[in-house]
Amino acid sequence: MNLSGYKISRYKTPFIFTVTLIILIYLSADATEVSLSEFLDGWSHGSRLLLEFFPPDWSKIGRMLHASLLTIAMALIATPMGALISFLFGLAAAKNISYPGLREVARVVISLERALPEIVILLFLAAALGLGLYPGILALAIGSIGMLGRLLADAIEEIDEKAIESVETVGATRSQIIRYSIIPEVLPSFVANSIFRFEINIRNSVLLGAVGVGGIGYELNESISLMDYEASTMAIIMIISLVFVAERISDTIRKKVSKTGEVM
Amino acid sequence: MISVENITKVLPSGKVLLDGISFKVKKGEFLGILGASGAGKSLTLRCMVGLIKPTDGQIIYSKELDDDDNPINICELKGKKLRNARKHLGVIFQGNNLVKRLTALENVMIGRLGQISPLRTWIYGFTDAEAEEAYEALKQVKMEDYSNRRVGSLSGGEQQRVAIARAIFQNPSVYLADEPVSSLDPKNAKKILKLLAPLAENKPVIGVFHQPHLVSEFCTRVIAVKDGSVVYDGDPKLSEEQLEMIYADELSSIQKEAEKMSLIKKSKKK
Repeated sequence: MNLSGYKISRYKTPFIFTVTLIILIYLSADATEVSLSEFLDGWSHGSRLLLEFFPPDWSKIGRMLHASLLTIAMALIATPMGALISFLFGLAAAKNISYPGLREVARVVISLERALPEIVILLFLAAALGLGLYPGILALAIGSIGMLGRLLADAIEEIDEKAIESVETVGATRSQIIRYSIIPEVLPSFVANSIFRFEINIRNSVLLGAVGVGGIGYELNESISLMDYEASTMAIIMIISLVFVAERISDTIRKKVSKTGEVM
Repeated sequence: MISVENITKVLPSGKVLLDGISFKVKKGEFLGILGASGAGKSLTLRCMVGLIKPTDGQIIYSKELDDDDNPINICELKGKKLRNARKHLGVIFQGNNLVKRLTALENVMIGRLGQISPLRTWIYGFTDAEAEEAYEALKQVKMEDYSNRRVGSLSGGEQQRVAIARAIFQNPSVYLADEPVSSLDPKNAKKILKLLAPLAENKPVIGVFHQPHLVSEFCTRVIAVKDGSVVYDGDPKLSEEQLEMIYADELSSIQKEAEKMSLIKKSKKK
């Protein structure tokens, strides 16, 4: 047996991969005008700046708490709103209960939404409504459709066809089938996904806040542009605790829902 | 009276699944449909429910499916008319086709969905009186202690009894049972047939079965389907030769399987 072919090809793939990666990094650095020396310079400047972030400005805690509540409130209003819209899109997009034409439209909307980051949606809305809490909430709600609608549609399509058929044969209408066969089967997972989405929306709410919607993200952005870095640290502490607490709560509830299948 | 008249089902590929099935069923009859796998017995039943449209032929319910006792050909119905007709059809599927996350009582109440308005379904569902009645239906199949249990947590035999309670609660004019005992052990299968048999006193019961001995014990009449045609119609007590004829295809495939296995064993010995 001739091993020379193996001996060469064994090195070929890693070699091509490494060279391609280096070329890509070089091209990207060139395009974005990043240079290694600037990067190192930035570090020394940055480490001096870093000291200015300490200690955190605890006197701002009241203000930051208030801003955090605003961030939570946005996610809290937006998530159920988004869940409701997603529910309709999810139903419309499931091939085993929807109408063929309607299904295509719903699928396209869901895919389109998935392709758009929340911040892009917000910029669209801001063009029409101006920046503020209301377009922020709307952006978060619309931003949920891609994930929740898609997951719901998939869950519905996974329901055993016979379970739907057995309800159909008593003479039930489509809406009755949805009420007595589809909803009971998919509600626990839909609720669990919505709670997960709430957690994501808290993060998104911080991000949209920084763009100018309001809330803790806005405070962080403001303090940095005013060079009040000690207040920035306070805002960052608030954001981390906010995200952490939201994650714990969502984890606990989701585990309970998926374990027992009880929604309430 | 229900009369199935010369129904055929041909696939677009040209394959013939049903080749002119005809039979009549009267009140007081418990008709068992037997046949090997793929003979067309379940397909016939599905045509009778209107789930599948036959290529040709008709299935006439002389007065069972109409509010005003008019004859109805279920093969012609669509949409609202089909739903209206189905209100009167008590279909008993295999128990594992129930809605798993609903309780036994809720599954029983689904039996009357066709009889209440969709709007009411969404606003408050069923009334207390209806719930009581559904509970009575569960009592009839001795499942009242499980009324609040989720169906997914019940055993196969228990689920099957809930499926029967659902049909009883529906108060239909005809009962159609599609392989109601094929996933059950012999003891439970017998229990289920004991529940089905008395229903036939007032309304026709038509069931697809796989167990000739149970059919001969409980049914009042049997038809056997082979290669899409009725090859036997009459007394539920079938002779050995008749059974062999009905299940010939299945037997030969089992025999071939057995021969293969014995060949393997022999070769191992060598």
